Amino acid sequence: MSSLHDLLAHEVVEGIKEGLFTAEEYVSSLIKTIEDVESKLNSFITLDTVGALSSAKLIDRKIKENEDIGYLGGVAVGIKDNISTKDIRTTCASKILEDYVPSYDATVIRNLKQNGAIILGKLNLDEFGMGSTTEYSRYYPTHNPWNLDYVPGGSSGGCGAAVAAGECTVSLGSDTGGSIRCPASFCSVVGLKPTYGRVSRYGLISYANSLEQIGPICRSVKDIALIMNIISGKDNSDNTSMSSSPITINNKLDKFDIAIVKELINDGDHGVTGTIYSTSDKFKEIGCTCDEISIKNLHYALPSYYTLASAEASSNLARYDNIRYGFDLPIEEYKWDTYFSNVRKNFGEEVKRRILIGSYVLSSGYYSKYYLKARSLRSLLKLELLKLFKKYDLLIGPTMPILPFKFGEKIDDPIKMYLVDINTVIANLAGIPAISLPIGFSNGLPIGLQMMAAPFEEQKLIDVSHALENTINIQRRPNLT
Amino acid sequence: MISKDELEYLAQISKINLSEDEAKKFPEQLDKTIEYIDILEELASDDLNVLDLQEVKFDELRDDVVKMSEELRITKNMTEDGFLRGPKMK
Repeated sequence: MSSLHDLLAHEVVEGIKEGLFTAEEYVSSLIKTIEDVESKLNSFITLDTVGALSSAKLIDRKIKENEDIGYLGGVAVGIKDNISTKDIRTTCASKILEDYVPSYDATVIRNLKQNGAIILGKLNLDEFGMGSTTEYSRYYPTHNPWNLDYVPGGSSGGCGAAVAAGECTVSLGSDTGGSIRCPASFCSVVGLKPTYGRVSRYGLISYANSLEQIGPICRSVKDIALIMNIISGKDNSDNTSMSSSPITINNKLDKFDIAIVKELINDGDHGVTGTIYSTSDKFKEIGCTCDEISIKNLHYALPSYYTLASAEASSNLARYDNIRYGFDLPIEEYKWDTYFSNVRKNFGEEVKRRILIGSYVLSSGYYSKYYLKARSLRSLLKLELLKLFKKYDLLIGPTMPILPFKFGEKIDDPIKMYLVDINTVIANLAGIPAISLPIGFSNGLPIGLQMMAAPFEEQKLIDVSHALENTINIQRRPNLT
Repeated sequence: MISKDELEYLAQISKINLSEDEAKKFPEQLDKTIEYIDILEELASDDLNVLDLQEVKFDELRDDVVKMSEELRITKNMTEDGFLRGPKMK
């Protein structure tokens, strides 16, 4: 058997149920891995090893007493630090929330716990999810486990790195413009951004609530399906949530019609482009057709995304007023506006830039020039994609058109950094599901394939990903010794 | 180019104090971003009459019912007679 920290989630549940090892032995193995590699990676902001071991002992007691341990009994999960966890500090990688301890669990956390999952700790991100590298975390950047000099992607960079390195078995991230898929691609793990509304956002600390979704990052497609079936569903606390059919793992693949989107592959890194084209040949091997198509409105997707995301950020982050939680700054010497502005100077530079841009595009004179146009483009793009999905089951391209890059390469130029998201924002604007699947390496750095489907067609993404995963055998574990 | 006055105005309506360093480098960075989103100007006006798919349908919203938190956790001692204390408005 593999080392316990190498096991996939479904193997952990089976192993514990069959008595091959205890939950405590498995969690201890993960904690040992964290002790060995965390100083190199900085994946976590907060660890709860004591809580995790105590939950593991509870699972072991249930096994002894022949009680049900749930679909995820014993599986150790890392949680992006913008998802509320009762009694565990939730910082959003921001100084503004450095001491914030939620009094409630997000719905996804409640669902995980009810199904026997163990929360191992909170994972690093770009402050409030704004970034693509974790360099905008106000604590420290996370390192890419495949090459420590390179960024792990973001904003859920801690989630990608921790799962790839075996510090936790699965993680939950959030994806506003590619924040699950980018680190999944850069760290060679699988990441799914679900259809908008499939997973409750209750307890996800909002940055751009019309775009963001919580989703899993795992080392196998089967684990993605397992986690999705636990976290999906209608939740009365999130009015945008909807019920959906469970996802299954099918070993027989239907014949799917697939299209490569030219605009997603043009101007990409040669290593990335070559690997995508050789993977498209594999689609034919597994019985699918593969055309090349063009999407007319893609040119406007990224400027629309940054207009809408910044506008929503400027509104959502207005709640950080230091009245209910925040710094120890006495109120007596200040008037309201000066107090508010003085506290909020503690946001990081990227958060400030986005709030300022959001205020700009929403202000009188610019609202119709930018914000309304961005909303219209969003609808146009969605209509164009829905029409394409009548002909094709999946639209594909590289998740990231470039390979992971070195720290500091793009940090001084916000536009260079924003362009990293050019292939991923489409799915958020249209509210459709998209998966990133590891398909190879170039110069030792990972490459991910992005596949998008019509709303609530996650099953198609899982079917094709599962078939491809079995066809493409790639190295799964980075060498961190 | 965003002027010093415009940046000050944006910071004021956003309620954020900027450091000297930020006040110096933000105008160029924000300009680049605005120049980039100016691509949206190329959209033909016919395209803008599209149905807004994000429109909220108010009859689909649930009733707004006040529920008390199981536990109200204020991290700072800023309560008085059961109310939160804030700075003076003026």
